Amino acid sequence: MLTHTHPIDPEELMAYLDGELSVDRAATAAAHLENCRECQELAADLQGVSRRMTAWQVDPCAPSAPPSVPERRASRWRWQWGLAGAGVAALSAFVMIGLLRPPVKYQRTTRDFVKTRPVAAEMPPPRMIAHTAQLTLSTTEFDKTRPALDDILKRHQGYFGELNINAPAGIGRTLEATLRVPADHRDAAIAEVKRLGHVESESQTGEEVTAEYVDREARLNNARNTEKRLTELLRDRTGKLSDVLAVQLEIGHVRESIERMQAEQKSLLKRVDFATLNVKILEDYKDRLQVMPDTILGRFRNSAIAGYRGMLEGIVTVISFLLSTGPSLLFWSVIIFIIIKFTWKIFRRFKS
Amino acid sequence: MLDFQRGSREAFEELFARYREPLHGFFRRRLPTVERAEDLTQETFLAVIRATARYQPRSLVRTYLYGIAFKLLAVERRQQARSAPLAQTAHEPASDTALWVRQAIEKLDPTEREILMLREYEQLSYSEIADLLRIPLNTVRTKLFRSRMALKGLLDPASDLKAESEA
Repeated sequence: MLTHTHPIDPEELMAYLDGELSVDRAATAAAHLENCRECQELAADLQGVSRRMTAWQVDPCAPSAPPSVPERRASRWRWQWGLAGAGVAALSAFVMIGLLRPPVKYQRTTRDFVKTRPVAAEMPPPRMIAHTAQLTLSTTEFDKTRPALDDILKRHQGYFGELNINAPAGIGRTLEATLRVPADHRDAAIAEVKRLGHVESESQTGEEVTAEYVDREARLNNARNTEKRLTELLRDRTGKLSDVLAVQLEIGHVRESIERMQAEQKSLLKRVDFATLNVKILEDYKDRLQVMPDTILGRFRNSAIAGYRGMLEGIVTVISFLLSTGPSLLFWSVIIFIIIKFTWKIFRRFKS
Repeated sequence: MLDFQRGSREAFEELFARYREPLHGFFRRRLPTVERAEDLTQETFLAVIRATARYQPRSLVRTYLYGIAFKLLAVERRQQARSAPLAQTAHEPASDTALWVRQAIEKLDPTEREILMLREYEQLSYSEIADLLRIPLNTVRTKLFRSRMALKGLLDPASDLKAESEA
C-alpha cells in the first residue's frame, strides 16, 4: 500500500513502533514518520488497537504456594513414583501449616504482597520503591548502540518503553530510549548500558510509593464493597423504574472508578517491578573540513563572480528604490514647488 | 533457572513469584474458567520441576515457560473439545469494553489471534513468538500486522455504534 511512495512499508512501521526494527531502518522510519501524515495515521491506528486491547484485563490469580520442590533429585524412579505422593504430602503439609501456624511475617516480594492481599492487609506492607535512572553517554560507535541495547533488554527480560533516533544533517546522531527492566536487574542493566560509551551524566532516583498503594488499595476495597451492596440491592428489591435506573447508574459510576483504580494500581506495580532507565546516547560527531579553492585562478574566478553579482545586486537595489519611492517623491516635489511658487508670487506682489 | 537446576529452592521461588501472574493471565485469557487457569499455571511449574534435569538454556526462561504453557493449553483444548465443548461459552463477568474487545479478538483467525495475544498480553518479541509457534519471523510480522488491522476493523464499527447509543 505504502511501498511505492514511502521508504518504509506498513509492517516495518509496525515493527518500528514495537521496537523490533534494525537500527538503520529504525532511523529511516523515525525520520519519515516525523513528516508523513499517512504514516502518522497508521501509527496512531496501530497504537490505538494496542491501547484498546488493554481494556481486557484478568483478575490477579488467587494466592498459592509454589509447587513442592524435592530437596534431593537423586534418582529417576523417585521422581516417577514419588511425584503423586509428594503432591499429596505437600498439600497436607500446607493444610496443617495453615491450621496450626499463625500468619507468618511477610518476607517475599511486592507482588506476593498483592496476591495475598486479605492477609497482607493486616500487616505492614514491604517498601515499594519506583526506581528511575537517567544516563547520558557519548560514543564514537553509534551504530552498535541499538543492537547492544536490544541485547541488554533481552538478557534482563526488559523492554523498550520508548525509542527515538534522530539523524539530523551536519551534527551527530542521538538515540533516546526509555528502558524498562525488572527492578532486581536494574544495577546490572545500568552497568551494561554505561559500557556503551563515555558517561557524560548519571542520576538515579527512588520514589517510595507504599503509602499511595495502600491508600488506593483501601479505596478500591471500599468501592468493591459498594458495588456488591448496590448489586444486591438491585437484585433483591423492587421499586419504580426511575429508582432501578438510578441504582444502575450508580453501579456504572462505581465500576468505572474501580476499573480506573485497578489500572492505576497496575501501573504503580509496574513502576515498582520494572525500573525505568532513561538513556540518551550522543554520537561523537567529527565535522568534515570545508575544502578551499586551491588555485589562485580559482580564487580570481570566485572574486570576479562575486563582483559581478555585487554589481547586479546594486543596480537592482537602485532601480527598486526608484520604482518604490519615485512616484511619492515626484508627487511631493510638485506640491512643494506649487506652494513655493505661490508664496513667492504673493511676496513679490506685496513688495511691489 | 540455572540456579534452580543446580538445586536452589530460592531460585525456584523467585521464578514462581515472577512468572506465576503472567502465566495465569496467559491461561485465563484462553480458557473459560478461573479454576482451570490456576490449575494449568501450577501444572506449568510442576512441568518445570520435572524437566529441570533436561533444561538447556537455549532460549529465554520466559520463552521456555510459555512453551510449556502452550503445550499444556493444547492438551487442555483437545480434552475440552472431546468432553464438554459447551464449556467454552462460560465467561467471567467483565466490563462492557473488556467483553467487547474479547469478542472482537475471538473473531480473528486462530493463528493471527494467538500471535496478537502473545505480543500484546504476554509482551513477547517477534523472535520469541516465532520460536514458540515454530513459524518464520516474517510470517509473525505479517500475521501480526494483519491481525491488528482486522481487530481495528472489528472494533471501530462497534465503537461508533456504542458512541451513538451513549449519545
